[in-house]
Parts: sequence; C-alpha cells; structure tokens
Amino acid sequence: MKDTLNKILKIDRRWLFLLLSLSILIPIIKPIGISSSSISSSVQNMYDFIEKIPAGSTVFLGIDYDPSTAPELHPQATAVMKHLFKKNIKVVILTFIAGSGGLMDELVRTIPPQYGKVYGKDYVVLPYMPNFTAVLTQMASDMYAIYDKDINNKPLKDYEMMKNIKNYKDFAASIDITGTALLDGAWLPLVGDKYNLPILGGVTAISQVGLGPYLQKKQIKGLIGGMKGASEYERLTNEQAKATSGIDALNIAHLLVIFFIIFSNIILLVLKFI
Amino acid sequence: MELSLVLGAWVAAGMTLFIFSFLYKDNPFYRAAEHLYVGVGMAWFIQLYTYSVIIPKVYKPLVDTIKAGDWVNMWLVLIPTVLGLSLITQFIPKISWISRYGFTFLMGYGAGLILPAGLATDFMNQIVGTIEPFANFFSLSAGAMINAIIILIGTLSVLFYFFFSVEHKGAIKKVSAFGVYFLMIYFGASFGNTVMARFSLLYGRFDTLVKYSKGEYFYATNWIILGLLIYFICEKIFFKAVKLKKT
Amino acid sequence: MNIFKKYIPLALVFVFGIVTLASYYVPHRVSESYMEQISVWENIVFAFSLFLGAISLLYSHYNKIVKKVDGWGYSLFVYLGFIVMIVLAIVANGKISDEGQMTALGWGFNYIYNPLSATMFSVLAFYIISTAYRSFRIKSSSAFLLFIAGLILMLGNIPLGDLIWSKLLGWTHTSIASIKDWVMNVPSTAGKRGILIGVSVGAAVTSLKIIFGIERGYMGKD
Repeated sequence: MKDTLNKILKIDRRWLFLLLSLSILIPIIKPIGISSSSISSSVQNMYDFIEKIPAGSTVFLGIDYDPSTAPELHPQATAVMKHLFKKNIKVVILTFIAGSGGLMDELVRTIPPQYGKVYGKDYVVLPYMPNFTAVLTQMASDMYAIYDKDINNKPLKDYEMMKNIKNYKDFAASIDITGTALLDGAWLPLVGDKYNLPILGGVTAISQVGLGPYLQKKQIKGLIGGMKGASEYERLTNEQAKATSGIDALNIAHLLVIFFIIFSNIILLVLKFI
Repeated sequence: MELSLVLGAWVAAGMTLFIFSFLYKDNPFYRAAEHLYVGVGMAWFIQLYTYSVIIPKVYKPLVDTIKAGDWVNMWLVLIPTVLGLSLITQFIPKISWISRYGFTFLMGYGAGLILPAGLATDFMNQIVGTIEPFANFFSLSAGAMINAIIILIGTLSVLFYFFFSVEHKGAIKKVSAFGVYFLMIYFGASFGNTVMARFSLLYGRFDTLVKYSKGEYFYATNWIILGLLIYFICEKIFFKAVKLKKT
Repeated sequence: MNIFKKYIPLALVFVFGIVTLASYYVPHRVSESYMEQISVWENIVFAFSLFLGAISLLYSHYNKIVKKVDGWGYSLFVYLGFIVMIVLAIVANGKISDEGQMTALGWGFNYIYNPLSATMFSVLAFYIISTAYRSFRIKSSSAFLLFIAGLILMLGNIPLGDLIWSKLLGWTHTSIASIKDWVMNVPSTAGKRGILIGVSVGAAVTSLKIIFGIERGYMGKD
C-alpha cells in the first residue's frame, strides 16, 4: 500500500503533461459551451468608462504585448478596439514593445475596415519607440517632438484627426493593453498620476492581482485581467470571439490543477497514518 | 490558399512542435528550434531599432542638418549619438570606461525621473488610498466600512512584517504574523491567476496547431507529429539514444 | 585620467539626476524645454544600448563555432535565424505590412518569430501542473490560506466553477465570482499594498544612491 502510494506520488511527470494537453485539446475540438454570467467589477468599470467617453474624443490605445502573452491580450485589444470604434472614438495606437509589430499590424489591418474607419481621420498608428519614460514624459508638452512621423513615415501633424491634438490635455483617456509593467510602471506614474489623464488597461492574469491597490485608489479607472476578463468584455460588447472560446477550453485544465493539489495532499496525509 | 500561407503554416507548426517535443525528452529538433529562436528574436529587435530609431532619428536628421548647414540642430543629434555609441566601447576593455558616459546619462535621467513619480504613485497615493475611506467613514455602507478596515489592518500588518528588523516578539510578532496571512492571500490569488495565464498561452498554441491540422494547410500538424514520432521510435530502436550534452 | 574615468561621469549622473528630478516639481518653460530635449536624447541613447545585447550574443555564439565546443552546430542556427530575419527586413524595408498586405517581414514575424516565442512561454503551463501535483503541500495554516485563495481564483475564473458553486453552495446566495472579486479587491489588495509601499521606499533610496554616486555598479570595474 505504502509503496503504491509513493509510486503514485512520484509518477513520471510526462503523464501529467499528457493529461494537461488532452484537457485543453479536447475542448478546443469539442467545446463544452457553458457560459458564465458574472462580470467582475473592474471590467464593468472599464466598459462603463468607455461608454461615457463622448464621440469624437481621442484616446491612446497601447498595444504593448508580444507573442508570449498574445493569447490573453490579443482578444482584449480586439474587444476594446471594436468598442472604441463602435462609439466613434478616435484612436491613437502606439507601442513600446518590440515584439508587438505583427500583432498590432493584424489588429489595424482587420478591425477598422469592419467599422468603416479611415486611417488619419479616425485612427493613426505611431511607430515603435524603445524608451517609454522618455516618450511619455515628452508627450506632456508636445507629442510631435518625438512622434513627428507616423508608422508610414508621413508627417503625423498633417492628419485630419491630429489637427487639434498636441499633448495629454487633448486626450480623453489612455488604454494600455500590456504584458509587462507598462500600465502601473509607466502610464500610471508618468502620465495618470502626474497629468490626470484617466488610465485604463488590460493585463495578463498574472499582473492583474497586483494591480488591486491602484484600482481601490481609483488611480486605474478600469481593468481587464487575462483571458477571463477578455471573455467578460466580449460579452459586454456583444462580440463573442477568441476569449469566449478560450476560457471554455480552460475549464477542465483548471479543475485538473485543483484535483491534483487535493489528490496529492490526501495521499501525503494517508501516508502519514499508515 | 496562397502558397506563402501554407508554407507559413508548416513552418509555424514545425517550430511549435519542435519546442513541445522537449517535454518528452531533449532532442536535436528542440535544440535547433531553440537556437533559431535566439537568432530570430535578436534580428527582430535589431531591424526594429534600425528602422524606427537609427534611420529616422539619427541618420536622416544628421544628413539633412549637415546638408543644410544647420549646425545647432546637428549637434543636438550628434551628442546623443556619441553618447549612444560610447556604450559600444564596453566590448573593448582598454577603453571601456568611455561607455560610462552613456550609462551615466541613462542612469541619471532614469533615477531623476522615476524617483518622484514612484513616490507619488506607489507611496503617497497608496497611503492616501488606505486612509481615504475613513474621511467619510459613516456615510459608507456596512460592507465598505468592513473592507476599509480590513485594508487598513492588512496594509499596516504587512508593513510591520517588512519594516521591523528587530526580533519579532510579543505584540510585534502577532501583528507581523497577521501580515503573513495577507501576503499568503495575495500570493494564493496570484497563483490562481498564474494558472489561468499559463494555460491561456498553451491554449493559444494548441488552437493554432488544431487550425493547421486541417486540409487547407495540407495537414501540417499531423504530418509533423508523425515525423517526430517516427524519429523518437527510430531513436529508441536503432540508435541507443543520441547523447546530447548540454551546450 | 581619473578625472575622465571617474569624476566627470559621476558629476554627469549627479547633474542629470538633480535637474531631471527638479523639473518634475518645477513647472517652468525652461524645465519643460529641458525635459523635451533630454527625452529625445534619451530615446536615441537607449536604442544604442539595446545593440549591446545583440553584439555580445552573436559574439558568444561565434566563439562557440570557432572553438568547436560541444553542440557548436546549434550555434549555426542562431546565425541562420538571424540572417533570415534580417534579409526579410531588408526586403520589406522594415515594414510589416504595406497597403494592407503582409510583407516578407510580416511573414517572418507571423510564422517564425511568433510561434517560437509563444511556444517557448507556453511550455511553462506544463510546469504549473507538475508543481500542483508535486510541490503544492498544504502543511501549515498559511499554506492552507494560500491554497484557499488560489482555489477561489481558479474556480472564479472558469464558467464550470460558477456552475459547481451554484450547484453545491447555491443556497448561500453567494457567487464564486463575487467572492473572487472580494478576495482580489480587499485582502489581496492589502497584502500587495504593503509590498508596494515597502518597495517604493527601497526604490527611492536606490535612486538617490545613484544620483549621489554612492551606487555605481553600472559603471563597471575601475
């Protein structure tokens, strides 16, 4: 008995890997299809905030993630961008993450046409800049000193939507979807707290928990966290897409983790008494 | 379907599966993909900095200002360029001290900028956030009152845990032990969410592999899995596991 | 030589540090134009600093190939990947897409860089499951608390968690989602806030040490 239990505890971990793979793979092929009705408060706040931004206002949308966090954050960015365009809000898209290139490009190629949005009139894309501290500090006085050209190397100032835009005072909010600490480590201290520009964002599930203090103090006005947050935002905006099917596929895998923790601890407990 | 997309699917599925094959055991396919990743990643960064900063912010302005004889603006580009280039001297031991000029510029600027911003966001505002609810405490709902008290007690006890480097005894020990509970809840919550984050990434890869397993991509995923299986079987039967020493 | 090697750099860090710090608190035209110019400079210097990593990496793999150390063949793949991507970038003139069409560089991003990078990180999921089974030991009250918090988050994150909760504990008129929200917004926030305040003090001290030349690890050896 003791030997068997010990053996079970020391099982080749590749079996665990296989189980995990199947638990995610099978629901991808055959979705479970249970929907959840809950919306977390920070996602609701984010949605409400964007709903209240007057049409014609301009916001920043930071696409600050790379492939390593894209499965969580790409659906968030997609849902938020759609919401902004639906509300006829003008969007200045920018990034400080080197690996975001192709992902940002995909968003910009696919989403604006769906809403009949025109480049330069409804949205612009800024080129990648390596140093966020310098850029965020600079944009407080005159953003064109650092972004004189857009991503297509054309003078940024000449675009119709940029006519009356000079610095943070001309923006309604900044929304940063990021897989790093850019939201709480850059946009918030360098822009939000200093120049009172409302800061919102989307982060990985890992970062989400650590942002609690900023949400409580309302330094961050709204937040989407991980795949779950993205699926909630998709539901709020009525655009069920990748995150909804993603969270569905994660059901069994989560239960598997819970089961493994409890199961292995029970075995240990039993081993103690025999 | 376009040839480039099909080819892309095969390359992408191959790279993905080669890396996953490590989970079974170390093998040359994994090693090759891993090293390829290092090279590709580095090249991606280099091309990006070149096309987004070096050409538009350094090369072009320098050429333009020199052509126009605009010396003031030329210096304004030349100074940071020289400071930047000074960093490269790091690799030449004899003159590596020159790189200090670039680094001191970066460090001085960074420290001067982050110091006040960090204090405002992470220190002052957090203290304000903790005591703010007590300003109009009695107008809060019962739930909000309790939450405000929990946050106050939790924050203080965690600070006690961190800041009292004296021996934890008596009342201080009790308070800081309480702080540990709050930390545990934070770490537990972080663990719970880390599970979702990691699994989301795996979902992302699997979802792509399932997509590439379809007929329109000529069953890329399936064929590559089959190839890897054959390799591992052959390796087991014919060769006595190719010994891979860690590089 | 000491003056060029040591004192001038230390004086520079002090001057840049103090002036930048001061301009945070002094809203004046002069401080604004200082920040404007210095930020543009910073952006350029920083870009150069990123080339350092690339040079050192390529150099170390070059050494492996030249010295034929074990597994040197794999180092060739570093160069292969590097050259392929650089060629794609040159062909596409640094553009990922052109008039809505994916360029060669875009192809390289989507089908080489993206899968490699994403898969490298997704492998971590497998270590989560093995940690859960092999190392998550509930042996003390604080470990139990850690488990409960994790359990609430995990259940609260999945639709099946909702369902299980309402089937088992529906009579309590609570939902796992609201409990999860509370855990994140109240006790976990308190825990993190304590950490934040502590860390911010540490960071401020480090910044001051840099400005005043006490911390000079970044300068390397004399």
